[in-house]
Amino acid sequence: MSSSTLSRQTSQPRTTRSPGIKAGLSLRRSRDTLNGWAFAAPFLIFFLVFLIWPILYGFYMSLTGKSLTGANDTLIGFSNYAEAFADAGMWRSLGNTLYFTVISTVPLVLIALVMAALLNIGLPAQWLWRLSYFAPFLLASTVVSLFFVWMYNPQLGLINDFLSKFGIAKVGWLNDPNVAMWSIVIATLWWTVGFNFLLYLAAMQNIPVQHYEAASLDGAGAWRQFFSITMPQLTPTTVMIVLLQILASLKVFDQIYQMTGGGPGGSTRPVVQYIFETGFTGYRLGYSAAISYIFFGLIVLVSALQFVITRRRSV
Amino acid sequence: MKQFESLTGKQLTRRQLLTGSALLGGGLLATSLTGCGGAAQAGEVREIGFWHLLSGGDGTKMQAMIANANQANPGFKVHPTVLAWGPPYYTKLAMASAGGRPPEVAIMHASRVPGYAPGGLIEPWDLGLLAENGITPENFAPRIWEKGQQDGKVFSLALDSHPFIMFYNTDIAGKAGLLESNGLLQEVNSPDAFKAMALEMQKVTKAHGLSLGYLNLGAQMWRLFYTLYKQHGAEIVLTPGQPMQADRDAAIESLEFMASLFDDTIAAKGNDINTGIAEFVRGDSGMLFSGGWELPTMKKAKLPVDAATIPTLYGTPASYADSHSFVLPRQLVVDEEKRKDAYKFVSDILKGSLLWAEAGHIPAYQPVVQSPAYGELTPQIHYANAADIINYDPEAWFSGSGSDWQNYFAEYIQNVLLGRTKAAEGWDGFVARTNDLLSRPNPV
Repeated sequence: MSSSTLSRQTSQPRTTRSPGIKAGLSLRRSRDTLNGWAFAAPFLIFFLVFLIWPILYGFYMSLTGKSLTGANDTLIGFSNYAEAFADAGMWRSLGNTLYFTVISTVPLVLIALVMAALLNIGLPAQWLWRLSYFAPFLLASTVVSLFFVWMYNPQLGLINDFLSKFGIAKVGWLNDPNVAMWSIVIATLWWTVGFNFLLYLAAMQNIPVQHYEAASLDGAGAWRQFFSITMPQLTPTTVMIVLLQILASLKVFDQIYQMTGGGPGGSTRPVVQYIFETGFTGYRLGYSAAISYIFFGLIVLVSALQFVITRRRSV
Repeated sequence: MKQFESLTGKQLTRRQLLTGSALLGGGLLATSLTGCGGAAQAGEVREIGFWHLLSGGDGTKMQAMIANANQANPGFKVHPTVLAWGPPYYTKLAMASAGGRPPEVAIMHASRVPGYAPGGLIEPWDLGLLAENGITPENFAPRIWEKGQQDGKVFSLALDSHPFIMFYNTDIAGKAGLLESNGLLQEVNSPDAFKAMALEMQKVTKAHGLSLGYLNLGAQMWRLFYTLYKQHGAEIVLTPGQPMQADRDAAIESLEFMASLFDDTIAAKGNDINTGIAEFVRGDSGMLFSGGWELPTMKKAKLPVDAATIPTLYGTPASYADSHSFVLPRQLVVDEEKRKDAYKFVSDILKGSLLWAEAGHIPAYQPVVQSPAYGELTPQIHYANAADIINYDPEAWFSGSGSDWQNYFAEYIQNVLLGRTKAAEGWDGFVARTNDLLSRPNPV
C-alpha cells in the first residue's frame, strides 16, 4: 500500500466529522504532542546540554587560542588546524593509535571467536568457563594496569622470572620500544576479550540446532559445519564486534597512560593522551580541541567506511 | 482525582499537594542543614579548604601538622583534600583556579609557580599580613625565598626544600670498608672513584652496588641528570620564542656517566622507582639515589641507613631539589576572614615544621633548622647542607616537578640509559623537542 493511499484513507473520515469533534481531536492531538515532548524532554535536555552543546562549543574553541588559564580567548580561524597538521607529535600519536587498533582488533575478535566456539561444543562446567573468560572485563583499568606492570617488571616480574627458567634473557616488556605496544595489547586482550566472547557465544547459541542436525545427516564433519553453518550465521555479529572493537581501540588511553605513560620514547602515546597533554597539562585548550576534531573526523571516516561495507554486504 | 482544600480556600489536586509536601520537606531539610551552618557561624568556626599532594609517609606528618594547627586555632577548621602527585593534581588545581572556585590555600612545587603566576591562577602573598603572623623574608634562606618570587611579588611560601640525595646502608658500607672513623661514608669526587666505591659495595651485596629506579618516570632521570649537569657549573635557559640555551658537552658527559652506571653490576639496567627502592631495602644494594622523602620508608623497614648529598663528581657542589610551597589560588570571591585564617594556618605550619623534617624534608623556616631539636635529627642533619646547593628546574611555563617536560626528557633519555641510543642522540632529540615547545604560543 502506498503512502498516498494510506493518507487518503485516514483523512477521509475526518472531513465528515462535526466541527466540535474536530476541535476536540485537535486539542487532544496537541495535548498528546505536548505530553510526547514532556516525556522526551529529560533525554532531549541531556542530549542538548551534554552532547550537542559540547560538540558545538568544542568546535568553536578549536578556532580560538583559548588557554586553560582563560587567556587569549579570541578567534584565530583555522591556524590551530594548520599547526596540528604540521605537528609531528600529533601524527606520531595518531600513528600509535592506529597501530594499536590494528594489532589489538585482530586478536580481540579472533580469540573471542575461538573461545566461544570451544565453549559452544559443550565443555563441562560451562558457568565456570564463562565466568573466567568474562570476569577480567569487570576489573577497573587501574587494577589491570597495576597487575600487568608488576608481571612485566624486568627485575622482579613473574613473566621474566618464568622465562629465565628456560634460559631466556630478560625482556623489557614495557621499556623496549619494539615490545611495549604488544605488551599493552596482551594486557588489553586479557582484560577485554570476555566482552566479545560473550557476544559471540550468545550469537552461536541462537543458531538453530536443526541446521547442524541436517548437516550431520548429509555427512558434514565438525570443521565443515563450523565453516559452512556457524561462520556464515555469525556474519552480522562479526561485523558488529569488529566495528565496536575498532571504535573502542581507537579511544585507547587508560591502560597505556597507567602502564607506560606513553613511553618508552613516546612509542605508545595514543592520540587521546596527546590531546590530554596539550589541553590540560600544556594549557592549550584551543589547540587541543583542534586535534580532537581531527581525530573525530578520523572516527567518522572509519564508521562511514564500515557502514558502507556493511550495507553492501546486506544488499 | 481527589481534591483537597487549601488554607486560602483554593482547591488543590493531589499531585499539587504531594509536590508541595516534597518542597516543604526539602525546605525543612535545607533549613536543618543551614542550621548546622548557622550554628557553626554562631560559633565562628570557618571552614578552610586546603589541597595538597602529599600521600606517603609525609602525608601522615602533614595530617598531624594540620591537626595541630586546627587545635591551636578554634576560629577555623582546615579541611585537607589530597590529590595524586603530578598531572592529576596540577590540572585540577589549574582548572579550579581558572573557574575561580579553588580552596583557600594549596601546596605547589615551587618549580611549577612560573606556569601559574603569570596567568593569574595564583595570587601574591601580602608581606604585611605575613609579618603580622611572624613570617618575614629573614626566616628563609635567600635562595629559597627568591624562588618564591615572580616579577617582584611573593607568590609561594616554601615549607621545605626536598633534594635528591644518596641513602646508604651503613652495614654494607662498613663491610666494604668504606666508612670513615666518624661513621660517615668516604667522600669521592670523581665519576671513576664513585663507580669504584659502588663496585666495592657490590662485592658485599653480590647483587648491585647502587639502586636507582627510573623506568617510565622522567622525574627520576631528570633529578639525577640535573644534579650532575649542575655540578659542571652549567646552566639551562628557557626563553619562549628562542632556542634552549644549554651546555651540550656537560649534558652528554652527565648522560654518558649515568648510562655507564646501569651495567647490571653497579646498578640494575631496568628498575622502576618501586623496585629500585625495594632492592635497596632488601639489602641487595649499598646505595640508593632518591628523594629525602623516602626516609620514612627506610625507617619503617628498620634499615641501618644514613644519607648524604649526592657526591660532587664534577667540581661544583650541586643538588637537584624542589620545594613544597604554599600558594593562594585565585578565587572569584575572596572571604577576607578566611584569607586571614589561611595566613595564620600557613604560619603555624611553618613554625611547626620540625614534624615535617621528620618526614625527611629540610624545613624552609630557618628558626626550625637552627633549633637544637633539628640538630639531633639523623640522618636529616647529614644532608641539611643541600639547602645551600639546591637547584630548581630551569624556569618556563612547561617545566617543573611532575611536568610534561620531565616526561619528554624520559622519552629521549630512557633509551640512552638502557644503552639503546647514544647520549648525544638522546640529548639532541630532547633539545629539539624543547625548542618545539619554546616556539609555540605561550599559553600563560
